[in-house]
Amino acid sequence: MELRLTPEQSLLRDSAGKFIAAAGPKVARGFRRQNPPFAPARLRAAGDLGWLGILVPAAQGGLGLGLTELALLLEQAGQGLVCEPVGSAAISAAALSAPPHPMLKAVMSGAALVVPALQEGPHGDDPLVPRTRAQMERGALRLSGNKMFVCADGAEGFLVSAGSAQGSILCYVARDAPGCTLSATPTVEGRALALLALADAPADLISAHPSSRNAVDALHNLALFAYSCELLGVMEKAQDITLDYLRLRKQFGKPIGSFQALQHQAVNMYIRAQAVRSLVFAIAANNDPYCMDPVMAIAAKAKASEEALAVTQAAIQLHGAIGFTDEHDIGLYLKRAMLLSALLGNAAAQRRRYTEIAGLRAYI
Amino acid sequence: MFRRDTPAEAEFRMQVRTWLEANLPAVLRGRTVRPPPAELMPWYRTLSRKGWIAPHWPTQYGGMGATLNEQIVMTEELARIGAPALPAQGLNHIGPILMEFGTAAQKAQHLPPILVGTVIWAQGYSEPGAGSDLASLMSRATLQGDHFVVRGHKIWTTWAHHSDWMYALIRTDPQAQPRHAGISFLLIDLHSPGVKVRPINTIAGDEEFSEVFLDDVVVPAENLVGKLNDGWRIANALLGHERLATANPQFPLMTLDRIKAIARATGVIDDPAFQDRLAAASINVTTLSALFSHAVELTNNAHSLGPEASIIKLFSSELLQALNDLLVEAAGGHALADQPVATGFGDVDVAASFFQSRRVTIYGGSSEIQRNVLARRVLNLPN
Repeated sequence: MELRLTPEQSLLRDSAGKFIAAAGPKVARGFRRQNPPFAPARLRAAGDLGWLGILVPAAQGGLGLGLTELALLLEQAGQGLVCEPVGSAAISAAALSAPPHPMLKAVMSGAALVVPALQEGPHGDDPLVPRTRAQMERGALRLSGNKMFVCADGAEGFLVSAGSAQGSILCYVARDAPGCTLSATPTVEGRALALLALADAPADLISAHPSSRNAVDALHNLALFAYSCELLGVMEKAQDITLDYLRLRKQFGKPIGSFQALQHQAVNMYIRAQAVRSLVFAIAANNDPYCMDPVMAIAAKAKASEEALAVTQAAIQLHGAIGFTDEHDIGLYLKRAMLLSALLGNAAAQRRRYTEIAGLRAYI
Repeated sequence: MFRRDTPAEAEFRMQVRTWLEANLPAVLRGRTVRPPPAELMPWYRTLSRKGWIAPHWPTQYGGMGATLNEQIVMTEELARIGAPALPAQGLNHIGPILMEFGTAAQKAQHLPPILVGTVIWAQGYSEPGAGSDLASLMSRATLQGDHFVVRGHKIWTTWAHHSDWMYALIRTDPQAQPRHAGISFLLIDLHSPGVKVRPINTIAGDEEFSEVFLDDVVVPAENLVGKLNDGWRIANALLGHERLATANPQFPLMTLDRIKAIARATGVIDDPAFQDRLAAASINVTTLSALFSHAVELTNNAHSLGPEASIIKLFSSELLQALNDLLVEAAGGHALADQPVATGFGDVDVAASFFQSRRVTIYGGSSEIQRNVLARRVLNLPN
């Protein structure tokens, strides 16, 4: 179902469409196992278009837009398998904006990349009780602990959650800070994910936006939502490619898309993608980027993670043997879906948190 | 959840809520099975006297002329208090069809009795040999001077044994190709000689529908709606709003509450495997709320939903069924009780709710037919 957009939102979507026309699976293929796994010049181009400051208030030089605009942008990024970490940069810029951190301008322009480093276990975490510890020593903030699955390649710094006497706090840690070490693991998707080990690493405290309950909570929810938007785009494009294949591929003398068994599978893909689309944009329309309802952010990530995997897997099945080859692009969408689904916790992990946070065990 | 009332809608909602609390008899609240006419129609007429029986009808026909959002508010408030389902064939189907396609005489004869609740209508579409393949229907009408003679057999006709009139699709040109070009839309008085109605007991234990035998029934020619052989188009003209109304997330939300109540009573709420399914179900209800508000927004802006309305029907009906599966799972052995189960959080009629949910993926075009429609008309897959 189509979205009802303002003229400004339509313009943004169109210009994002032009940007991703230069991306796509061929480009994404070329960045596999590269470091950085994207083109820094393209990240700066996204910065020039204002997208990395999309959520940053206009007073801080950003576009001051909301979650609908972010979703439109990242849906397209997902469709185009864009490798530049537009989403991570945009939500990091938002986190760095109130009050402005010295890195904010460089992040918004795309000259420097800062990415969130919030995850401490394979299944995501309660963002409000990180095991990484923050301590004040002679007026300086120092962090110790480990963060996992950090998209660190190409990044100059990290937004790290840590426990302190004041509860969960958000900190900026420079990549070259003493006590900060990265050990990368290559992933099936092509980019490396790193273990970020912090041993008394110096850090800056990042204040919460005035409307946020907590800076870590706000960034974590925003990250869940951003991944959901990209997953939406990934599954939509995988669906489109598959529909084209069903219309063209002939067996038994007919296009295979004329067979009811395959038509119904195609419809199931379509319903999954449409459901996530309505969910993502309904949440976007009803939430403040700096103070998202965690229940909604979790619901989006749970649903998008599950459906993107289902859709991209069905896409491979509907392609038959060619879908199982590395030569065909459809596998790239499955791998991108695997990456984004796993980050900050997969669908099952989200549902576990949802059970607690949405109060399902308490009666009504 | 995602649709927010304007201040005026919020005021209307409170007005409806207060009035329903004061006027809906307690015995009619929370019924899983629709009560028989003797119990239900007095409530229908109470709503009618209040002027709220037909929110979606224009004021010129005696309706409320309510906006789509006001209609949704009413649906939600009726669901919230557990109001019984009203006979919908008059209000939602033949009423709007006559407003669009009927003659002045047909409107004058048939619309007022629907509004006041003195006449109940049935829908005569399906036949024993024409279910999903409705265009293959064989009930025949032959024009003889000023009347048709109708012979045939209709089935799955909701409430026909309580109904006074039936609007029906009847073949008037057996040679027509394609087949749906030979079908007309007729209004049949069920009290006519030659009509025999036999109720059918369902797996839910109710007699919600019947079969109707038409044995040389005389139908005046003026009971033809629209042109001869144009019945297919008329029957299909007004499906979108109906799909939207049945997809209101209020019904799944109520089922979710029942699941939680019974899961607490049986203790299964503490089982992590069950919790996972409950969380998935709850997220899916949120997703339906999003789909529903999206569809309402598009419809409100004069974008006809068109064949995309099938998404709403599929998602909501399959979700309602999945929720009822979870309800049965949560109840364990109590799901077998042929009566409501006490939970400490209110009685839950587990089995009745489960059985009622079996029909929603069949009526109004089965899930399989909806998938065919989406595949061909939305995804443009080849034939």
